[in-house]
Amino acid sequence: MMSAPARSRLEALGLSASCVEVLTHLWDYLDEQVTPTSAARLEAHIASCAQCRQYEDYQECFLRAMAGLKQELTAPASLRERLADRLKGQGCGCWDKVRPRP
Amino acid sequence: MTTATPVMPLSPGRAAEETDVTADAGQEVARSASDVGRDAAFERDALPWLDDVYRFALSLTREESDADDVVQETFLRAYRSWHTFIPGTDCRRWLFTICRNVFLRSRERQRPTVDLEDGEQDAVAAGSVYAAAREKGYDDIYARLDLAPALRDALDDLAEPFRSAVILVDVEDLSYESAADVMGVPIGTVRSRLFRGRRLLQEKLVTVAEDLGFQGAGTP
Repeated sequence: MMSAPARSRLEALGLSASCVEVLTHLWDYLDEQVTPTSAARLEAHIASCAQCRQYEDYQECFLRAMAGLKQELTAPASLRERLADRLKGQGCGCWDKVRPRP
Repeated sequence: MTTATPVMPLSPGRAAEETDVTADAGQEVARSASDVGRDAAFERDALPWLDDVYRFALSLTREESDADDVVQETFLRAYRSWHTFIPGTDCRRWLFTICRNVFLRSRERQRPTVDLEDGEQDAVAAGSVYAAAREKGYDDIYARLDLAPALRDALDDLAEPFRSAVILVDVEDLSYESAADVMGVPIGTVRSRLFRGRRLLQEKLVTVAEDLGFQGAGTP
C-alpha cells in the first residue's frame, strides 16, 4: 500500500483521491487484477475525469504496442531446421512438422 | 520479419494406430503405439508454441544464437520428459518453465532474486513519466509512432528479471499466476517486476522520441 505521506504529496499536486487511485491502480485494472467493486469505482471515475481518461488511453496504447511485438518475432527457419534434425535424432516421429514450410 | 507458420496437428485417428513405420534414410523403424501417441500429443500440444518459446528465449539470452540453443534444448527436454506433462494443462507454460530453467542452467547461475518495493511506486512513477511526456507533447507517441523497433531495442536493454516479466505478461499474454509459475516467484513479485519494467520502458521510449526529434502534437 502507498504510504499516507506519499498519497498526501500526490493530492497536494492537485490530484483528487480518485485520480490518485487511478494513477496507482490503472495497471492492475487494465491487467484485470482488481476486484469487480474496485473496477467499477475506477471506471466510474475515469468516465468522469478527462485527465484520467487520457492517461488510460496512453497506457492502453502502450500495452497494445507491447502485445503487437508478438507478431514481430518468430522462430527463424535455421532454428526450425536444426531442431527438426535433433528431434529426428531422438526418434521423434513428428520432427518434420517443425521444419519451415516452403 | 517472417510470419509465423502454424504447425498443423496430426489427424485425430493417427494416435490410434497400432504401429507406425518411419522411413529414415532408407531404413524402416517400427514404432510402438505408445510412441506414436506420444509423438502425436507432442506435435499437437508442444510444437505450436515454438515461436512463443523462441521469443521468450530471445528475451532471456538477447543473442539469437544463444536463443537457438536454449530453444532446441527446451524442446528436446520436453520431448524426452513428455511423460511428465499432464494432458489438458497449459503446455506453453510448461515449456516456458523448461526454457527458463535451461537458460539459468546454461548461465550456471542461481535464479535471480530481486526484492523490490511495492509495485505501486512504479505505477505512480509511470504517471510522472506520462506527465513529463505530456509536457513535451509526447503523450500520443504510442499512437503516432511505429514503436515496434524502439520497443524491441528498449526490451533488449531492459535488465532481468524485469524483461522476463514484461515478455511473459505483456507480449505472451500470460496471467500473473502463470508468469509467477514460470519465473518461480510469488505473484506479487511478478507484479512488481512487471510494473518496474513497464515504467523503465516508457521512460526509454520518451527518450527515443526525443532522440528521433519527434514533434509533439502541440509543436508547430
